[in-house]
Amino acid sequence: MYVTIIGCSGVGYHLAKALLAAGHEVLVVEKSRSKCQLLYDELGSVVLCGDGTDQRVLKSAGAGRADILAAVTGVDETNLVVCQMAKETFKVARTMAVVTDTKNESVFHFLGVDVVVNTTHLAVTSLEGGVPGRPLIHLLDLRVPDTELVSVSIPEDAAVVGKRLGEIQLPPHSFVSLVVKRNQAQPAASNLVLEGLDEVVAVTVADEEQRLYDALTGV
Amino acid sequence: MIFGCGTLTDLLVPYLKQAGHLVTVLTDDADALERLRGEYQVKGVYITEPLMQDYLQEGDIEIAEVFLAISGRDHQNVLVAQIAKHIFNVGTVICRLENPQLQQLYAGLGLKIIGTSTSGLYEETRQLIDG
Repeated sequence: MYVTIIGCSGVGYHLAKALLAAGHEVLVVEKSRSKCQLLYDELGSVVLCGDGTDQRVLKSAGAGRADILAAVTGVDETNLVVCQMAKETFKVARTMAVVTDTKNESVFHFLGVDVVVNTTHLAVTSLEGGVPGRPLIHLLDLRVPDTELVSVSIPEDAAVVGKRLGEIQLPPHSFVSLVVKRNQAQPAASNLVLEGLDEVVAVTVADEEQRLYDALTGV
Repeated sequence: MIFGCGTLTDLLVPYLKQAGHLVTVLTDDADALERLRGEYQVKGVYITEPLMQDYLQEGDIEIAEVFLAISGRDHQNVLVAQIAKHIFNVGTVICRLENPQLQQLYAGLGLKIIGTSTSGLYEETRQLIDG
């Protein structure tokens, strides 16, 4: 596959390296000459020095034959412009963008960017997971609006301990998808008995998050 | 609602206020905003972080009839103009762009574009050179 990467910050650099190692054809477009030189010294001629929001630069980068274009500059709106230009002018089949303003994630999807990665959200989720006694962890936003995958750790004194999954009352749009017991994942069968310290992975919607949490952890 | 606080905003605000319109200005230029607030009693929203939708809602974009994205930064204008048009369904959205490539791209995507026409400038300059 031919992947054009716009921007060579940490993300662009590591993405290029990973894709090259996986045997893909990669070209990184970067404005800063010094960053281009560093990349050239390490990865060879996979870098084009220029403004990735300039159509002439994208054209000479071969955007017209790119299977994927990934806009990973540190500026959300620039990533949007690059993706829209790639889609409209160069008919790139798959565009990807990184955002830091969390609300831009849905906006970019709506405006036609195929894959939107919200780095703030990813960082917060990882940090949340590192805090002991954490309440509810957001694992993933699903493509269905408002729907998300979350994880809840069952306290040892919770009312649900010893109950079968089928007996537990959950909010209407929430359901358990799997339960992790002592590092072994098990499908959420209705006769599966919950124990303290189990990790319950569930699908829920934003409005029901708190009720789901209360149902699983209440004493 | 006006995003950006440059010369064009300075010219538009007195006109709009005189015509009896409610005006909200969003900008990261605190001094310009303070001045406009004092002189023309516009509502001002001071932007300090990249949380665009929150700021738009703080400025009551839900009731805006016209949205002008006329800061000096093309990419920001493109983002907020599209949020205003497609997320908040503002009736009239005008986006200022200086880059001719972007003018063409976003006119094609349905935005109303204002900005200097580079081809016009080119013709004008050539005529002046040729006498």
